[in-house]
Amino acid sequence: MLIQLKSGNVYDPHNKIFNVRKDIYIEDGSIVDKKYVSSKIDKVIDCRNKIVMPGAIDMHTHIGGGKVNIARLMLEEFHNEQDPNFDMTAIIAPSTLKTGLKYIEMGYTSCFEPALLPANARQAHAEMSDIPFIDKGGYVLLGNDDYFLDLVRKKASQSSINDYIAFVLKATQCIGVKVVNPGGINAFKFNQRALNVDEKSKYYDITPREIVSVLTRGIHDLGIPHPLHVHCSNLGVPGNFLSTIETIKAANGLPIHLTHIQFQSYGNNGDRGFSSAAVEISNYLNKIPNLTCDVGQIMFGQTVTMSGDSMTQHKNHKHAHPNKWMCMDIECEAGCGVVPFKYQDKSFVNALQWAIGLEIFLLAEDPWKVFLTTDHPNGAPFTSYPHLIKLLMDKSFRNDILNQLPKDILEHTILHTLNREYTLNEIAIMTRSAPAKILGLSKKGNFSHGSDADITIYDKNKKDPEDMFAHPSMVLKDGKVVVENGKIKEYIWGKTQTVAPEYDKSIEKNLGKFFDKYHTMKLSNYIISDDEMERLVGSPVSINECKHKRKE
Amino acid sequence: MTSHNKIIDLVCPFCSLHCDDVKVSTDGKTFKIHDKNLACAKKIERNNIRKNSLIFPTINGKASTLSNAITQIKKNLSTHQELLILNHGVDLSGLRAILGLASQYGGIIDHINSEALFLNLNLLQRSGYMATSLTEIKNRADVIVIFGNKILEKSPRLLEKVLQTQNSLCTDTRKKEIILVGSFSSKIINDIKKSSRVTNIKINLDMIPSFLDLLADDEKYKKVNGLSEDDLVKIKKIISNAKYLVAVWTNSDFALTSNPEMIINSISKYIIAYNQDKRGACSPIAGSLGDVTSSQAIAWMTGFASRIKFIGNTFKHDRVSYNNKVLIDNQNVDTIIHISTLTSDKIKLDKRYFNIVLGHPNSSFSSVPDIFIPVGTPGIDCDGIMFRTDNVVSVALKKIREIKLPSTEDIINRLT
Repeated sequence: MLIQLKSGNVYDPHNKIFNVRKDIYIEDGSIVDKKYVSSKIDKVIDCRNKIVMPGAIDMHTHIGGGKVNIARLMLEEFHNEQDPNFDMTAIIAPSTLKTGLKYIEMGYTSCFEPALLPANARQAHAEMSDIPFIDKGGYVLLGNDDYFLDLVRKKASQSSINDYIAFVLKATQCIGVKVVNPGGINAFKFNQRALNVDEKSKYYDITPREIVSVLTRGIHDLGIPHPLHVHCSNLGVPGNFLSTIETIKAANGLPIHLTHIQFQSYGNNGDRGFSSAAVEISNYLNKIPNLTCDVGQIMFGQTVTMSGDSMTQHKNHKHAHPNKWMCMDIECEAGCGVVPFKYQDKSFVNALQWAIGLEIFLLAEDPWKVFLTTDHPNGAPFTSYPHLIKLLMDKSFRNDILNQLPKDILEHTILHTLNREYTLNEIAIMTRSAPAKILGLSKKGNFSHGSDADITIYDKNKKDPEDMFAHPSMVLKDGKVVVENGKIKEYIWGKTQTVAPEYDKSIEKNLGKFFDKYHTMKLSNYIISDDEMERLVGSPVSINECKHKRKE
Repeated sequence: MTSHNKIIDLVCPFCSLHCDDVKVSTDGKTFKIHDKNLACAKKIERNNIRKNSLIFPTINGKASTLSNAITQIKKNLSTHQELLILNHGVDLSGLRAILGLASQYGGIIDHINSEALFLNLNLLQRSGYMATSLTEIKNRADVIVIFGNKILEKSPRLLEKVLQTQNSLCTDTRKKEIILVGSFSSKIINDIKKSSRVTNIKINLDMIPSFLDLLADDEKYKKVNGLSEDDLVKIKKIISNAKYLVAVWTNSDFALTSNPEMIINSISKYIIAYNQDKRGACSPIAGSLGDVTSSQAIAWMTGFASRIKFIGNTFKHDRVSYNNKVLIDNQNVDTIIHISTLTSDKIKLDKRYFNIVLGHPNSSFSSVPDIFIPVGTPGIDCDGIMFRTDNVVSVALKKIREIKLPSTEDIINRLT
C-alpha cells in the first residue's frame, strides 16, 4: 500500500531539511523517495498546517528489567487505577502496556533501556517485548563484572577484552555497552563505599580510569556505533564535576557518551557546599568532538530512582520518599538500587539540580551532541518531555518557573542570564536525528529512501510547544497509523534493535569453563539466540551494522 | 528428537533453582535422570507418563476430543458470571496467554502461593531490603545463616549448587561458615560438616526475632531456649568476621509460626543494620510452582504481583477480595480455570463451581473436573521461559520429549 503524506512542513535534520513543505511517501512500512513512486497512491493524508518529523527516539529510559519490576512492585499504590485515590497523572514505573501507550501518544517510536544486566537480559527483553508500538533495545552493563575485572587485573590483551565485549553484546542481544560507576558496584560488594576515578578497588587493584579506557578502546576497535555509555563515578556528589572531567579524559580522545550528565555536573561552592558546574562541563562538551551526553533533567514531583549503581543508591536510601527502598548485588555482574524520591521545588538542592540540567541544554553549542532525557524515571517520568521542550523553547516560561524557586539558587546558577530559546530544528535534531546517529540506527530518525516509516505529525496551529509535543495529530509506526487525534487506531509490536560485532568464537570455550566453575547457570543458558528472541521472548531482532570491520 | 542413548542437559522447571545441568536420556517419549545420585532425581522422573496418565481431554471424567472440550469451555465462558483463573504453576508464555484470557472474559487471576509471595513483597513495600542472587552467594558469601527446618529438603540442590560449592571466586570454600537456625536433620548437618564449618542453633522458629535482637545488641545474654551463651558468643564472632553475610530462608518454613511476617521482617532489619558498616544480604528461596515467574510477568504487565481483576480495558488489584480462598469460600465465582503444568499434586476442586483444569497429564483431583485438558510441561513437552528464585535470572527451557501435548498457550489461544 502506497501512502502519501501531502504538503506537510517537514523536519528531516539528517537530510538537512528544516521546515520545508513537501510530500513523504510510504510503502510497505518504509519511506520511498518520490523518484521511485510508480504505482497508484492508495491513501493520501493531508498534512497541510502540519509539522512532520521522524518518530522521536528516547535513547536513555529505564523501561525494562529487574529494577523496573522491583519499582513496579514496590510502588503498587501508583498503579491502581480503580482506586478512588489513584493519581491519574502519576507515571511511576508504569506497566509495559502503559509505557507503550504513553510513548506512542507523544510520538516516540523507539526507546532504549540503558542498564541491562547480562543475567537479567532475557527478562528485560521479555518485558520490553510486551511494550506495544515501539522498537526497543538495550545497553548491556559491563565494567563491574568479576570476569571483566579479572581480565583487566591480569592485563589481558585488548583483543581478548574485545572478544568478551562483542560476545556479551551478541549473547544478550544489545545495541550498546554501558558502564555504571566503573568498578564501584563491584567494590561495594567488598564494602568500599566510594571509588574515585584514580582510586584502586581493594580487591581487583584497578581504577575506574583503567576500566573506562579499556572499554572505550574496545568499543572503538569493534566498530560499535554507540560510544561507551558512561554513568560516571561519584554520581550526585557535590564537587563531582572534577571526576566527570577525569572520566572524559580516561577515554583518551575516543568517543564517549556521558549519561544523565546533570547528576555529574555539581560543584561544591557556597555555604551549602553545592553549586552548579554546568559551565565547566559544557566547556568540555563544546570543545571535545567525540564527547556526547544526555542530560537527565529533573522535574519537581514524585518519582522513583532506579540504577545499577548500588553503591550510590545504598547511600541515598535515607532520602527515600515514600520511606521504602531496595538494593541488590547481582550475579557477579553488577547490582541495582531502587529508591523512590520526590523532587521538591522548595528544596535548594532540587531547585539547583533543575537549573543545572537546563544550563547544560542551553550552553550546548551543538544539538547533535546533547540528548533530551530525564533518565526516566530517575529525574522525572518520560511524560514530562513536552514540558521540558517548552522550557527549552520559551525563555519567559522558563524564567517564570525559575522565579518561583528558592532565591538563593541564583547565586549558584547562571540560568537566569541565558537567553537562548531552542528552535524546532534543534528539537528535531536532539530528539530524532541525533539519537539515531549516535546509536547507529541508519533507518531511524530520517526520511531517506528505505528508512522505517516511523513518523510523528504535529498540529502547526498549536502555539504552545508543550501542547503540540504532548498531543501529536497522528503517529505512524512502520507505516501504519497507530495514533490519530489522540486515539489509538491499531496495536502493533516493534522489534529489538541490536548490533553484532565480530568476535573469536573460541572465547566461548573459556567462558563455558568459567560459567561451569563459578556461575549458577551454564553459558548456553546465558546466550539468547535470535530464534529465542522471536519465538519465546517475543521480539524479533533487527541487527544494525557496525561502523567498520573489527580492528586489532 | 534426542536419541535415548544421548545424554542431554535438562533445564529443570520443577523448583525455583531451575538448575540447567540435569543430565537426562530420552527415547523421545520417556526420560531418565542420568545421575542416580541427583538429589531430586525421583521428583523429576515422577513426570514421566504412566499407564494411568491423562493424555487426552475429559468432560465430566469421560474421554473427549480436544475440539469438544474447547467448545464446552467457550460455551461456559460465554455465560459465566465471575471467572477465577487459579495458577498452580506455568511458564511465561502461559502467563501471557492467561492475561489475554482474563482481559477478554473479565477474570480474576490469583496464584496458589500468593500468600507466601506477599510476605516477601511486604518487605519491599513497607521498608528497606537488601537482597542478593545465587551466583553472588556462591562466590562471595563466607558466612551463611539458614533459617528454617525443611528448606534444604525442599530445594535439594541448594547446598551443592549455591551454598556449599567447591569453587568460589572470592572466598575460601573450606573456611565457609554455615549457621543453621532451626531444626535440621542430622544427615543434613553431617553432610554440611564434610566441607564447611557448621553451627546449629536449635531454637523454635518463633524465637528468631529474639535471637537476632541478641545478635545485634551488645547487651547481656538473655535466655532463649536452644541457644546457649557460648553459642551466642561464637556466632557473634563468626558474623563480626564475615566479609559477606547471607541470610537464607523459605517462607513456607514459617507457615506454622505465630507470626511469619515478624520473623521475615526481623531477618531483613538485621541485614539492613549489618550493612551500615559491613556487607550482607538476604536471599529468600521461593516456592516451586512458578511463583517467581508469575509475579514477575504479571508485575510488568499490570504493576501488581497477583490478585488482579480485569475490568474493561483496565484492572483492579485487591489482595483480600481477590484471594482465591475468599472467592471460593464466599461463592464469589462460578467458574474456575485451574492451570497446573509443573506438578501432578492433587488439585483441590470445589464441586459448587464449574471447574476447568488445564493440567499436568499425571494430575489427580479431589473430585472430577467438569473439563480437563492435559497440557505440556514447560521444559519437558515445550520450550519456555521461567524465572529463578532470586528474581534476576531467567532460564530458557527446552522440550525433551514428544507426546503431542499442547502447551497452555496453545489451548488458551483457542479460547480467545
